[in-house]
Amino acid sequence: MAQPKITSPKPYTRARPRATIDWTNYVPGEFYDEIISSPGRARPATRSLAAFMRKQTIKHLISRQQAADLAIQEMGITFTVYSEGQNIDRSWPMDIIPRIIPLKEWQVLERGLIQRLTALNLFIDDIYNKQKILKDGVVPREIIDSSPEFLKQCVGAKPRYGVWSHVCGSDLVRDADGTVYVLEDNLRVPSGVSYMLENRAISKRVLPQLFERNSILPVADYPSQLFDMLTSLSPRRVAHPEIVVMTPGIFNSAYFEHAYLAQRMGAELVEGADLVVGSDDKVYMKTIRGLSQVDVIYRRINDDYLDPEVFRPDSALGTPGLFRAWRKGNVGLANAPGAGVADDKVIYTFVPAIIKYYLGEDPIIPNVPSFLCVDPRQRQHVLENLATMVVKPANESGGYGMLIGPAATRKELALFADLIKKNPRNYMAQPALKLSTAPTLCGNNIEPRHLDLRPFILQGKKHYVTPGGLTRVALRKGSLVVNSSQGGGSKDTWIVDSEGS
Amino acid sequence: MLSRVAERVYWLGRLMERTENTARLLLVRHNAVLDLPKEVQPGWDLLLQVLGAEETFARLSGAATEKNIISFVFGERENPSSIISSLAGARENMRTTREILPSETWERVNSLYLSVARRSNKDLPRSMRHSVLNNIVQSCQQVTGMLAGSMNQDAAYQFIRLGRNLERADMSTRIIDAAAAGLMGNVDETSPFRNVLWISVLQSLSAYQMYRLNVRRSVDREGVLAFLFQSTVFPRAVAHSLQQIEDSMKLLPEHKKASDVVVNLRRQLRETDFSTLAGPDLHLYIDALQLQFISVHSAIGVSWFAHESQQ
Repeated sequence: MAQPKITSPKPYTRARPRATIDWTNYVPGEFYDEIISSPGRARPATRSLAAFMRKQTIKHLISRQQAADLAIQEMGITFTVYSEGQNIDRSWPMDIIPRIIPLKEWQVLERGLIQRLTALNLFIDDIYNKQKILKDGVVPREIIDSSPEFLKQCVGAKPRYGVWSHVCGSDLVRDADGTVYVLEDNLRVPSGVSYMLENRAISKRVLPQLFERNSILPVADYPSQLFDMLTSLSPRRVAHPEIVVMTPGIFNSAYFEHAYLAQRMGAELVEGADLVVGSDDKVYMKTIRGLSQVDVIYRRINDDYLDPEVFRPDSALGTPGLFRAWRKGNVGLANAPGAGVADDKVIYTFVPAIIKYYLGEDPIIPNVPSFLCVDPRQRQHVLENLATMVVKPANESGGYGMLIGPAATRKELALFADLIKKNPRNYMAQPALKLSTAPTLCGNNIEPRHLDLRPFILQGKKHYVTPGGLTRVALRKGSLVVNSSQGGGSKDTWIVDSEGS
Repeated sequence: MLSRVAERVYWLGRLMERTENTARLLLVRHNAVLDLPKEVQPGWDLLLQVLGAEETFARLSGAATEKNIISFVFGERENPSSIISSLAGARENMRTTREILPSETWERVNSLYLSVARRSNKDLPRSMRHSVLNNIVQSCQQVTGMLAGSMNQDAAYQFIRLGRNLERADMSTRIIDAAAAGLMGNVDETSPFRNVLWISVLQSLSAYQMYRLNVRRSVDREGVLAFLFQSTVFPRAVAHSLQQIEDSMKLLPEHKKASDVVVNLRRQLRETDFSTLAGPDLHLYIDALQLQFISVHSAIGVSWFAHESQQ
């Protein structure tokens, strides 16, 4: 991939380097680029950004990037990675060149995301209650029966509004022809929203000029939207229900976010040991005044660890009795236990059918074409085309345990072929997409890098979608892996109304 | 407010104060080196005595040279009372209570920690000491100021204040103890440097100017002791710190047990005649006082942090 050339031969040794960004040297190639459609040509919504950058020297951009990195370090925006049995706190990587989506296009995506979550919640509620969709044969029963995310303990539960997944993060990707697909849904404890908010805060700090020229949808009210949604789940009809954020603790990779959201909502950040379930099956927290009742828990701890009485008995992170309190309707839990039954990567392949079944509508955002390894014919196709496929285990997140065919060695391909044959239910595969790119500051150059987008969707009494979301970018050349735990970075995401300008 | 969070911000208060006091101690020691003739200079090991770190030092750092002691007190992570350890502890407590603290205070503490951590494995040459240490003291004071100026003066704030003042009282007594025992031993009653040494004790606590303003008598043993123990107007005096602790406690729920301990302690302190406490008696008195501080600390724990399940 080519890079924009610096017009001056030695930009760093000159006293007054005048080298500015030249888009004619930026070649997106076979990929769809979010900013530059072909060398020298910016897309309509991104013209103002491209024009601004054309006037900047690379040196200036680098200095802005350094200012952003420093601000991130000083604000302590970090994430934790597990590596060789150790937890390492790393500064959040953010590329200062924003990713831009035109408002018109976004409005369609927004409707699509709401459609999808609405249908998925109807599906989960159905699965734990009447199971109509199984009886009608739209989703095969054995897929649910064999799903480790289907929690028998939840059968018959009726959370308020019939909503199980209150906070959803769906990953969107764009293929070479510009089509946006849903790559996966995260219905359990999706993370990343705090980084979306902090990316915007950093952008405003280091590139304030750009905000004057563009009309960009603000993202800052997410915490208050989240708070309102959580409030709508309170079982007690009181003016100020007690809402808490429950974290597994400082060693969790998303601890930063848990603390951030609690702070922005003015909610207590609790750990399992701070809570106790009384003989009245209500949840209390231990305070300096004694015990105080809790109404809604935004839990950022997995189902498994939530309640040692019901799930893993060795869990020291949860609170004994929590599940019981929820089943009795004495506390709201977001997200509800068992919601993961619908973000299984095998269930994913049925989402278009699920939308059609419950809403009678066609999906607004398509799924990536997917092959189920449990089906013999589809499995055959996957095994024959492994080198061009992405293979995912049904129940892993964070990009762990994945095979990216085009980037894999022969040994890895053989290993995955074996894994698939041994446990077909656990795998699904998709043709490797040509993920879209955007200009990214890489060392001393601006180069195209692949990216995705994770918008966050709330559902309680009503819906809310973050304008944009968290753009994750694969910083290594040619790489398609955007997870921050595996060397990915991020970008601020702008929904820009270019009609009025 | 969660008990766990209360306990963490209490320790945040203690450890920030400890960071500041330790930096002050190094700073004053550094200045004394420049002021005093060699023969009356207290040994560098006096610092270790004040911090109660002699054993740890002997285990970790070998010879008691100026260079070794400075890096032990400044940047040795294995030394739990070093500046870097206190600061790392303060930062960790803050990192887990960020949601209730004004975000700019976290940024300040975090960037202070990063700047000290960058220096922590290097020597601190004389030419750099003043600016590095002074920066630490100023940053700590900035944080105290930010908290006073931008944080709700609610329970969380009172716990920070409790930690800060208890730590301050404790450190003041350590400094006086070490000064009276270690420092004065070398110097003849009539030596002209006695005054200079008492002045340096006042300076260790930023008390010299305030002493002058408030006491209006020459700097001597009785005057200094009475001021540092009993003054109710000087913020680093023991009596003043205890007053603050009592005030904070009374703003917290269920405070009777804990505040009674402090009320008694204050009365005891008020009734002590420091002109008659000399030599070993003073040392014994201070020992007893520090045990009392520990009982204040335990009373705080029992009243607000420890939780027997009541349900």
